[in-house]
Amino acid sequence: MLNPDGAGAPAGSRLLEARGIRKSYAALEVLRGVDLVVERGELVFLIGPSGSGKSTLLRCCNRLEEPSAGTLLVDGVDLMSPRIDINRARRQIGMVFQGFNLYPHLDALGNVTLALRKVLRLSRRDAEARAMETLALVHLQDKARSYPGQLSGGQQQRVGIARALALEPKIILMDEPTSALDPELVGSVLGVIRELRERGMTMVIASHEMGFARSAADRVLFLEGGVIVEQGTAEQVFTSAREARTRQFVQQIMH
Amino acid sequence: MNALAGEFLNLDVMWRVMPMILAGLARSAVLCAVLLPIGLAGGIGAMLLSTSRVRAVRWAAIGAIDFFRAFPPLVLIVFVYAGLPFLGVELPTLASIAIAFFLNASSYFGEIYRAGIRSVPAGQAEAARSTGMTASQTFLSVTFPQAVRNVLPELISNTVELIKLTTLASIVSVPELLHSADLARSLTYNSSPLILAALIYFAILWPLVRLAGRLEHRLR
Amino acid sequence: MSAWDRFAFTFLNLEVARTYWLDIAAGISVTVFVGIVVVATGLSLGLVLAGLRSLGLRVVTWPILVFVDLFRSLPPLAIILVIYFGLPNVGIVLPSLVVLWLSLSAVLAAFAEEVFWAGITSVAPGQWLAARSTGLTFGQTFAHVILPQAAKLAVPPLTNRTITITKNVALGSAIGVSDILGQANSALAMSTNATPLTIGAIFYVILFLPLVVASRRLERRFAWGVAGS
Repeated sequence: MLNPDGAGAPAGSRLLEARGIRKSYAALEVLRGVDLVVERGELVFLIGPSGSGKSTLLRCCNRLEEPSAGTLLVDGVDLMSPRIDINRARRQIGMVFQGFNLYPHLDALGNVTLALRKVLRLSRRDAEARAMETLALVHLQDKARSYPGQLSGGQQQRVGIARALALEPKIILMDEPTSALDPELVGSVLGVIRELRERGMTMVIASHEMGFARSAADRVLFLEGGVIVEQGTAEQVFTSAREARTRQFVQQIMH
Repeated sequence: MNALAGEFLNLDVMWRVMPMILAGLARSAVLCAVLLPIGLAGGIGAMLLSTSRVRAVRWAAIGAIDFFRAFPPLVLIVFVYAGLPFLGVELPTLASIAIAFFLNASSYFGEIYRAGIRSVPAGQAEAARSTGMTASQTFLSVTFPQAVRNVLPELISNTVELIKLTTLASIVSVPELLHSADLARSLTYNSSPLILAALIYFAILWPLVRLAGRLEHRLR
Repeated sequence: MSAWDRFAFTFLNLEVARTYWLDIAAGISVTVFVGIVVVATGLSLGLVLAGLRSLGLRVVTWPILVFVDLFRSLPPLAIILVIYFGLPNVGIVLPSLVVLWLSLSAVLAAFAEEVFWAGITSVAPGQWLAARSTGLTFGQTFAHVILPQAAKLAVPPLTNRTITITKNVALGSAIGVSDILGQANSALAMSTNATPLTIGAIFYVILFLPLVVASRRLERRFAWGVAGS
């Protein structure tokens, strides 16, 4: 397989390779040429002030937002190709949202099975069987028949994770998965994410859970003003950042 | 294309029938000026009765409101206009139309006011009463103004509906705008007068339709 | 003759009722038939227009807005008269039943589009994102995620509007449709007695009162649903 920049690890180990991603809304340029390369099995943390483009970058990675420029390879498949069936491609890229975005008119099981039935075309029985397995992974098998309105925030977010996970994606993108949660509910969601990591799931998480990043993230990226200012291990970025901007931001979120 | 324009947008014809159309427009304006206050005021009455604390009154009012909402307005007009003379009661046409509109519009406006009253939190009235205001003072200066503001889009929409309903008066031969236009059509063998009338209705009602939509959006 | 006797003779004349009630009843089938066809056409056209509008393409949205605003602003009777008297002069002759159907369907479609659209825009944008992120297509997202949520909000206003517009089938009597009112009117002329109107009115109430009562219950259930969730 062609490896465009001809350097580093073989393409096979790179699961997500986004290069030179730009995104503008009218005159406002939110992303100004971002490279995001994620290895198989890696957990990458994305930090940065609000408005720095974290959400936009994640949404560009499955083209929920159309990048204005850049290249996007997922497991070697060119997502920017005009011939790509983006709906088929998207099921390989799970997404978890800050506000959960569960379907309020469907119960937890229905939330998970909808795409299984409509996108993967599984029968109702197969879809429900797989959904129940997935709900078990997030420890919610006994809440399958509960509607989002009857679940706590932490439970809702775990259903959101199950909805993404059930499609057996190669990578999951999480946009501030715990920042809408009450503090006592954060742990249950982080626990599930940790278990996913132990099972080898590749993930990119925009989040400010520093303690979790320290113990679980392979790499931390600091995004500001639409560019990646600095990256390294959690330890490097949090305690010995090279850039003054990074140090300033880290200090802010510590308090 | 020319045939179409000649039939529907014949400026010559429109100009010739203009006096008739304007007279019709004036009559329509009179109808609205009489019927709209009747409906708005009648609605307040319907609302007060249908929220009465006396159960029998409340149920009777709600029954009457549903009855007149189930009744096509045209049937109501024909019933009052064509029925009463048989009884020996000779009413001026405008009066029979006013009766029919009173029954129909009060029911619709009453339901809108009622939804408005329900949308005001109970705490508002409690707060007002706690400052020593009487029940009627509370209603008039605290509850009702908020209720009206909350249902303003619906009130405007229903006003539009009521203005549109004035065209039904043409069926009992009131020479209002649509009636005059239809008469002009039969005199000129050309549809342009009807189009002209439609344009006038559109020019008057479209801003109201837009306004209601805007307000609804803002309140949401 | 006492006042009551005169009233009864005029409005509740059994003799007249026996003679004409079957004719007037025949109008029921016309009213019901036109009503059902108008509701089916108007609601589905309104839904299709709202769906097209949610594509967000300017070339599609503008004509829809023009259509919607036009038919929401014009009095239905004016629309009926323009179509009924105007089209024959340019060589298109439509039966009055068809004119009635087209006019009322267009009016209902315009109102239904607005209601559906309000429902669609009330669904949080995150719902689109979440559904599309799992690979659902635009159409699947619309049908399985957006519409069920929009419908919940749309049902009460839609029911009221549908009833209002269906009652307008009576306007057909102005262009010679033999619905309940049309039949009652001709019986009135022949019998010179108001009883046919009473019978017609009774038929209308039998037809529409259950719908009005049902819509009231629907509204209440909807209000509770919001408070409870």
